[in-house]
Amino acid sequence: MLRRMQFIPGRLIQTIPVVFGVTLVVFFLGHLLPGDPAIAILGEHATPARVAALREQLGLNLPLGVQYGQFLLHILQGNLGQSLTYQVPVASLVLQAVPVTLSLLLFALIISLAISIPLAGLAAAKPGGAWDYVARGYTLLGQGMPQFWVGIMLLLLLAVGLRVFPVGGYGITPLDHIYYLCLPALTMGIAMSPTIVRSLRSSTIDVLGSEYIATARSKGSSGTALFRQHVLRNAVIPTVSIIGVHLGYLVGGSIVIEKVFAIPGLGSLMLNAIFSRDFPTIQAVSLMVALFVVAVGILTDIIYTLLNPRINLSEGGEAV
Amino acid sequence: MRRTRGATLVGFVAATAMLLAGCSSAASTPNSTSASSKPVAGGDLVVARPFDAISMNKTLVNDSPSLWITEQIMEPLFTSTDDGKSVKPLLASSYKVSADKLTYTINLRKGVKFSDGTPMTAKDVKFSIDEDTKTATTGWGYINAAIDQVAVVDDSTVQIKLKYAWAPILADLALFSNAIIPDNYQGKTAADFYAAPVGTGPFKWDTWQKGQYLKLAKNANYWQAGKPYLNSVTWTVVPDANTRKLQLQGGQIDIDQQPDWSSFASLKSTPGLKTYAFPSTQMDYMEFNQKIKPLDDVHVRRAISYAIDRPALVKAVLFGNGSPANSSLAPGVPFYDKTVAGYTFDLKKAKAELAKSSVPNGFTTTLLIKSGDANQGAVSQIVQSELAAIGITLTIRQLDPTSNKKARIASNFDMASATWTMDIPDPDEWMSYALNPGNSGSLASAMGYNNPAIAALNKQAQGEVDPAKRAADYSKIQTMQNNDAPILTLYYSPYAYASTDKVQAFAVTPLGNSNFLDVYKTK
Repeated sequence: MLRRMQFIPGRLIQTIPVVFGVTLVVFFLGHLLPGDPAIAILGEHATPARVAALREQLGLNLPLGVQYGQFLLHILQGNLGQSLTYQVPVASLVLQAVPVTLSLLLFALIISLAISIPLAGLAAAKPGGAWDYVARGYTLLGQGMPQFWVGIMLLLLLAVGLRVFPVGGYGITPLDHIYYLCLPALTMGIAMSPTIVRSLRSSTIDVLGSEYIATARSKGSSGTALFRQHVLRNAVIPTVSIIGVHLGYLVGGSIVIEKVFAIPGLGSLMLNAIFSRDFPTIQAVSLMVALFVVAVGILTDIIYTLLNPRINLSEGGEAV
Repeated sequence: MRRTRGATLVGFVAATAMLLAGCSSAASTPNSTSASSKPVAGGDLVVARPFDAISMNKTLVNDSPSLWITEQIMEPLFTSTDDGKSVKPLLASSYKVSADKLTYTINLRKGVKFSDGTPMTAKDVKFSIDEDTKTATTGWGYINAAIDQVAVVDDSTVQIKLKYAWAPILADLALFSNAIIPDNYQGKTAADFYAAPVGTGPFKWDTWQKGQYLKLAKNANYWQAGKPYLNSVTWTVVPDANTRKLQLQGGQIDIDQQPDWSSFASLKSTPGLKTYAFPSTQMDYMEFNQKIKPLDDVHVRRAISYAIDRPALVKAVLFGNGSPANSSLAPGVPFYDKTVAGYTFDLKKAKAELAKSSVPNGFTTTLLIKSGDANQGAVSQIVQSELAAIGITLTIRQLDPTSNKKARIASNFDMASATWTMDIPDPDEWMSYALNPGNSGSLASAMGYNNPAIAALNKQAQGEVDPAKRAADYSKIQTMQNNDAPILTLYYSPYAYASTDKVQAFAVTPLGNSNFLDVYKTK
């Protein structure tokens, strides 16, 4: 078991150039954006003299290379810099936003699995049957509806019409947070589920036709026990990598959802930072997202390995 | 002027807002108005708006979402009257002007305490005004340029000495940046103090979750007995106009600080909601770069001014909730002169002016607008088609807001869309910006507009303490400016707000200050 996890340190080392590359791209692309944070801060009162003074004060007059060097040095010291707009450490803003977006993603993932697993299982049990048609109709519909539209329709129906859920916001207590996140998580969960249903359905059909399932059946296993112990465990393997890729995309997609539902997560932070050219915040959020995507990648590999003993990602390991 | 951050909304949001506006306008029961009921103490008010505050440092911060909150916590010596036309004492009780108009002796209101219970004294006043004056190059301090020194006479009297006679001084003292805070930041650093500011205002600091909400609580030590009525006011950040609208309908918020004009009518007809269009000091206009040909020609500028159908703009952009501009001062600004002729849509006159100009057969020019600004986008397209009628080809050039401002202060434009709102109840803030070519960073210097006769008259108005004489000066200036047409005045826009009908006595002055002091909620 431990031997099979030996790929992890190597993977972690590989992340270093990836993250370094991300900082490079984010820093220089960010500064290619037209616009000046000093003018964003001064607004219509900007005069050439005041803009120059503020640029000096914010350190924007230093050569870009020097600014990048300072940025890297600060990161190595665990310092994400100072927000140009709020004049507080970026870390405090990011730390406030990360849990929000993470819980939204986790919640969305749970919802999409709660929809996908039963639906795909029922559909695969009898290809061409009634449930299969439901599943196929659902995936078609789910992929055809834009996420923000689903969000607005859910808002109109459940929040404005029936008043079961609040219309956007995040609340104050932890219980509030869960309650406020229901609708956005449902929106994202619905958006994520069609591809999961599809992949899970087809892999389940494959697994059901395999010989070891016939063996299991001949030994008397059937129903949910068979599905859980033998079918799902094998069928879910390709789906895990799909979910991994999805989660990476979803962090980006959360910008739209966070705006529609007024959720103060990474997406909202990023959007505001871009509007006000708050470079340190843009860099920090991009870095967080990059780290998240890398972490999800490694996590996917670990789950993959755990689920399937035949997969060995470690060097020198032999495929059985 | 303060930054107007509202207009940059993503396209699809506007589209969905319109879609939903269409859906809900079906219900058209008149608003229930519970007028003149007795104020009830208690209750928490929630205000939703598209942007978060940035900082509470009133001397440095520039954006309205921040300043509108500092005004609830910290109060200045004077404040604008409700109609925005003049100044009345707030923390001051009375004042005397010396015969040479250079010394103002100000008596402070007795019994005023900061929210932490310590009494406000003349020392605090001196410290606060000096603090602002020090930010002349970095913040709002330039507004105190006429002040020579502030002296403490006794605990409840200060004396302000001016360098020269300066009529707008009381209006300047009414600016949020001159609000009174405890002497020496209560021994803290400025940064620590403004992280949780203390003032004499009706509300005191509570919590700020950046990007999420900012909450102020009732100041139990407030000097106006029995007020404020509300226990707290919370400003939440809700970027999407449509979400704010739905939250208002669902009763989740009490006030929407920035409803779209496109959904204003449908909000108005929704049962349980109220809409407000408060008179403002906002004027939308276009700048002419007079350093280049042919816009340096007054006949060209007049031709363009006659070619614009302003009522049509008001209808298209503000859905009828505004009025065409006749002067560069808005009706909510003191000394606005409604008799100034202005320009009305007249193709014959436009063509006649163009015929007298250096380019009788028309020309090609560009109009700079802010990318993502829905209002400027709509206006620019209408103006483009209207100018085509007199042979002027207008190319629309979009730049993001900060690059746009950079281009405008560097005179790197032909024509440019812009918006102005006032911060002080005095026309000088705008007039000095628009007319003073010597001031680097002023509109006049960026546009290359210089009329010495107007500049001299403006200087005279600055030193004139008698309101009747000042009014005469500013009337003359407005007429002369109108003849020169240095800018293309377009329309005046009110401030749009919406609330549930439980919110009573809510008002906003033409300067944009919300009054939460008298607000109460009915059941």
